[in-house]
Amino acid sequence: MASSDSQPNDATSVYGLMKKRVRGHQGMIIGSLIVLSVLLIALLAPLIAPHDPYQQDLLKRLIPPVWDSRGSWEHILGTDHLGRDYLSRLIYGARISLLIGIGAALISGIIGTIMGVMAGYFGGRVDMIVTFMITVRLSMPVVLVALAVVAIVGGSLQVVITVLGLLLWDRFAVVMRSSTLQIRSMDYVAAARAVGCSTSRVLVTEVMPNVVNNLIVIATIEIAHAIILEAALSFLGLGVQPPLPSWGLMVSEGKDMMLFEAWLITIPGVALFLLVLAINLMGDGVRDITAPENRN
Amino acid sequence: MIYYTIKRLGLALLVALTVSFISFGLLYLSSDPAIAMAGETASDADIEAIRKLYGFDRPILVQYFDWLQRAMGGDLGKSYYFRTDVSSLIGERLPTTMTLGVCAITFAIVLSVPLGVAAAIRPNSLVDRVALFLSVMGQALPSFWFALMLIVFLSVNLRLLPTSGSDTWLHFVMPTVVLGYYAAPAIMRLTRTGMLEVLSTDYIRTARAKGLRPWVVLFKHALRNAIIPVVSLAAVQFGFMLGGSIVVETIFALHGAGFLAWESITRNDLPTVQGLILVFSLFYIVLTFFADLLNAWLDPRIRIN
Amino acid sequence: MKRQFLLTITSMALAAGISGVAHAGKSDDTLNVAIDRELESVDNYYNTAREGIVISRMVWDALLYRDPATNEYLPNLATSYKWVDSTTLEFDLRKGVTFHNGEKFDADDVVYTLDYVSDPNNGAKPARNVNWWASTEKLGDYKVRLNLKKEFPAALEFLSGPIVMYPNEYYAEVGPEGMALKPVGTGPYAVTSVEPGKRYKFKKYDGYHSSSPKGQANIGNVVIRTIAESNTQLAELFSGGIDWIWKVKPDQAERIEAQGQFTVKNSSTMRIGYLNFDAMGRHSKNPMNDVRVRRAIAHAIDREGIVNALVKGESMVVHSLCFPSQFGCTQDVPKYDYNPEKAKQLLAEAGYVDGFEIPFLAYRNRDYAEAMINNLNAVGIKTNFEYLKYAAFRDKVQDGGSPFNFGTWGSYSINDVSAITSHFQSGGKDDYSKDAEVIKQLGIGDSSVDPTVRQDAYKAALSRISGEVFMFPLWSYNTWYAFSKEVDFNPTPDEIPRFFTAKWL
Repeated sequence: MASSDSQPNDATSVYGLMKKRVRGHQGMIIGSLIVLSVLLIALLAPLIAPHDPYQQDLLKRLIPPVWDSRGSWEHILGTDHLGRDYLSRLIYGARISLLIGIGAALISGIIGTIMGVMAGYFGGRVDMIVTFMITVRLSMPVVLVALAVVAIVGGSLQVVITVLGLLLWDRFAVVMRSSTLQIRSMDYVAAARAVGCSTSRVLVTEVMPNVVNNLIVIATIEIAHAIILEAALSFLGLGVQPPLPSWGLMVSEGKDMMLFEAWLITIPGVALFLLVLAINLMGDGVRDITAPENRN
Repeated sequence: MIYYTIKRLGLALLVALTVSFISFGLLYLSSDPAIAMAGETASDADIEAIRKLYGFDRPILVQYFDWLQRAMGGDLGKSYYFRTDVSSLIGERLPTTMTLGVCAITFAIVLSVPLGVAAAIRPNSLVDRVALFLSVMGQALPSFWFALMLIVFLSVNLRLLPTSGSDTWLHFVMPTVVLGYYAAPAIMRLTRTGMLEVLSTDYIRTARAKGLRPWVVLFKHALRNAIIPVVSLAAVQFGFMLGGSIVVETIFALHGAGFLAWESITRNDLPTVQGLILVFSLFYIVLTFFADLLNAWLDPRIRIN
Repeated sequence: MKRQFLLTITSMALAAGISGVAHAGKSDDTLNVAIDRELESVDNYYNTAREGIVISRMVWDALLYRDPATNEYLPNLATSYKWVDSTTLEFDLRKGVTFHNGEKFDADDVVYTLDYVSDPNNGAKPARNVNWWASTEKLGDYKVRLNLKKEFPAALEFLSGPIVMYPNEYYAEVGPEGMALKPVGTGPYAVTSVEPGKRYKFKKYDGYHSSSPKGQANIGNVVIRTIAESNTQLAELFSGGIDWIWKVKPDQAERIEAQGQFTVKNSSTMRIGYLNFDAMGRHSKNPMNDVRVRRAIAHAIDREGIVNALVKGESMVVHSLCFPSQFGCTQDVPKYDYNPEKAKQLLAEAGYVDGFEIPFLAYRNRDYAEAMINNLNAVGIKTNFEYLKYAAFRDKVQDGGSPFNFGTWGSYSINDVSAITSHFQSGGKDDYSKDAEVIKQLGIGDSSVDPTVRQDAYKAALSRISGEVFMFPLWSYNTWYAFSKEVDFNPTPDEIPRFFTAKWL
């Protein structure tokens, strides 16, 4: 990357520069803090959730949150249409939504990176095939195909993650391809090849470390993208299976009452919004810090 | 240029063919289409009759080539549900979606290009930050939420706009805003980057040094160059929009191709879903084809490569 | 948090905004109706959606008409009917009736329609509506005879509803495609415009025959629009763009009613919910093969609680596999009260002290299914829930891929147990138990015309089904309607809104 190119190979000075950039980047700090807290909430869900997120009480349905005059401290964020504690579902929902985002990005990241790096490194016929596959993928409408497949196969956590993972690899492939192309022509890669390092060794030790920050940036975009797409699938009734509390599913379950009990979709909606916003801010931050000239 | 055009056209055709095969194969993951066609109240006899009538008992490849052959002639088969030609069905619904798409992309451009330019003129200024914030918001705000909120505010409370339908241009205002808002961030960011890049080039510096007025430099020299990639991005975004209008059309009861797609999925109307995926893909393929040609024409380096 | 604030403002503004709604409907004599789906066709014989049946009742007439209040068969296009023997029916037809396009109604229309729709090559659906007669004969200009294939107790039921009469000359000319775009009938409303899947416009038919039991339409115009999203339907209702909606969710209906700006009504329907088991292990060995497990499930599910909290309206718990008003239905069968302790005890007896895990399929009412899952969890039964689209659900169930599922059945609104119990338990594809005794008793009931013989046979079958829990009946369904206070509308238990009886207030 340009940064490794323009900076001397002095680790401490690069590190110091990064640290300075991070401090100066408010968006990055806010975003990271939010993402970190959601991660913590997700990991510690069993410890911090006040109730069992699956425990129903049909006699205590749709109790509003505590700030409403009808609410109580027993259910701080109220209860859903089956009398389940909304706060606990929100806390456990963080797990599902993050799992969907990260899972989908992981699958698409692996597919896209392998394809992009191969195309960029080998060029020629491999590049042609990969470019062709990217074009095919881009020309297929994501939402429509995702909906069609989920409708046919039946929605479940695994299906949603897999389908989104199989659909969102294009950006990874495009960026990895061009980064690899750039790096391949760099001196140190040429040197490594000249001294007879095997292809896989060159790829793993020379190419990958230098595309990793790009990878992180794309990953954040796709995590956010997958979370939003799952919410849209859930809205149309084709997301994860209940009783799993994904935030998208919570929005979709609450939407029938949105004109009467707005908090039902506001709470998971705000959670979704904040998480996606934070992930995007973090991604922007990573890009600005590692390669400020690439900001776009 | 002719060689490039032919090569590019061949690629476009190959992509179209691959997409058609994938979309066809995809939908054959399906449960028995005969059941879906017959509907909830159908008897077993109804289902059996339909299975025979539509040839679902044949091998999939046979069905694909049969379909492809007729698709080339513009015959996308008959909708299981409406029992009319899929091509005429899509033809009926497409104008609504196209109107929406054109309005939305126009809205997105009108919103994001000036913002992108303003942000590029003064990087890291307040304008730049606001622009960035708006674009990040655009990525994080779920579209169904935004759509329903607009309805509550503008239709139910203020009575400014009709809630749903497609009878007058007023009906298109809210859907345009919702759909356009999602294309805006990408265009805004690209305009900004392009402008930043162009503004730092030598010929702009030269133009400035010559003492040309700032707005002449900006619009006559810089924007004209920065806008080229934006045009092709807009073309791509337009293609995405057609596919992405499902949620928007469903909420605003616009009977366009997006709504048709969603309804067809829920009723397992395979020929219609296949036809729509194909048509949406073709749109994208054609748009990118022309965008590529445009770029090649503007930038000779591309066509030599 | 800003959005939070906005939302709070919004809901308050909404609550305030609803008051003082001025409806456009009455002032231009147009009832604006919203439905949630696109209709495949408005041709009565190429449609299975309930909304299509609603339109069919507006545009066409059948030979008879079943009064929704008394369930009596009244003369409509036929002035009288006579059973010549148990498989032959004769009708005298009404004179002086004209179709919307001016064509005269006579025996040729009846013979043509019945011949056309019963020809399997024409693919009229559902097939069960039109496949039970062998031939039709014209006995005179205004007299026809219908020869049944065999005894068919529900014949009059079909002839008073779904079997409507088409104009022979017009239909021969335009066919189903033409009829779907420009429908012509004798009914109280004529169609003025069709935008397929999108919008249908109707105008009162001034030439409607005065002797019809349906009566003359009161409201001048009806416009039916498709709006898929329920929030959009509500927003249209609140802002005056729509006057009448149905299938409102129970919680929504309660809030609309509480706000007092609209009339909210509820009516029971013939649809009931049930749990189905692979009771005989026809497809796989699983815990459901054991009657004690099935009885345990019957005791584990709090039907009363679910009906009160979620289903609401006029719904009630049903104990036999049929809707109480249906002929032959009885609640005098083995019953299972909500008793988790007993359920646990039964499971223990069956050898499942620690419960077990089983896949559970459903295709509608996700919330009811989730409530049942909760009940099952409480007695130690863990479920792997799969919520599917109807097509995928039915496919899986009929292939034997589901030992345990939650389904519903609407009996095509036919007021006879043959439309439900016989469908599920006569050894067909949906029959997982295929119990010889049940099949025998249902056979007796389906083929007899003697009411007491039928009743006894059905009772025997229903008792055995409930006793062995081959299927477990849950509750009946209901429909909520919400409409402008300017509209006088009364729902009927057959779930077919009759707009020709609606009035402005």
